[in-house]
Amino acid sequence: MPEDPEESRGPTETRDALAERRGQNAPVYEPAEDSSLLAEAAVEHARGVTLEVGTGSGWVAQRVRAEGDATRVIGSDVNPHAVRRARDRGVEAVRADLLAPFRDGALDTVLFNPPYLPTDPDNEWDDWQEVALSGGETGRELIEPFLDDLPRALAPDGVALLLVSSLTGFAEVVEYAVDRGLRAETVAEESYPFETLSILALRHRAPDN
Amino acid sequence: MKESLLDIVCCPLDKHDLELEVTEREEGEDGEIVAGTLTCTDCGETYPIEDGIPNLLPPDMRE
Repeated sequence: MPEDPEESRGPTETRDALAERRGQNAPVYEPAEDSSLLAEAAVEHARGVTLEVGTGSGWVAQRVRAEGDATRVIGSDVNPHAVRRARDRGVEAVRADLLAPFRDGALDTVLFNPPYLPTDPDNEWDDWQEVALSGGETGRELIEPFLDDLPRALAPDGVALLLVSSLTGFAEVVEYAVDRGLRAETVAEESYPFETLSILALRHRAPDN
Repeated sequence: MKESLLDIVCCPLDKHDLELEVTEREEGEDGEIVAGTLTCTDCGETYPIEDGIPNLLPPDMRE
């Protein structure tokens, strides 16, 4: 058993604590620690046509646009309130389900801070905040379909930066990505009281020589 | 929506090209599209552009 009382919180308590810290009733996810970590990595790595999947308020996309080397930054979200916020910030906005409406090989850089909190199916909120936070029972319910489609939409020499929490299962995410022909490298990591956040850089695996 | 977005997006269902029909455009050269429709050149599914934002959700995910 973990000795740290924070570590022994159940998933529901953890989710509620995170939700409270992040404004549970807001219809659009507000920037938090995970957003900063992703933004810093993205400013460093993003180039060419850059898409932020699940852009929320558009804060990360706007920072990349202002400070990074990307030639174009697009923000997508399933949430209509989020895409309007992103557009109001000057980010090109598209309402979309993950990578579904993006052409094969069209994206040089993909950024994604997914909804990742493991959620009890009997205790869901059924609102936009849940859509922004909940990753289903495993925490990987959106990460897996994203990784399924990423090799199609990512340019041959493109890179995707995926935020992964220890709550979601870091090893499971890496294994899933590798099984889809990607290679994964951790480019940033930070520890917080009840989770460690990592930024995984995902690229097409070079063919064996 | 900028017209050049058509180089990046496609039909979410079958990945074919989208054809743009503009009903309202901002003034000036290269004015952004405020309202219109994107239609899949293969399956014919239509996707609305409202307030400058294309809604490329598959039909079963729209409200």
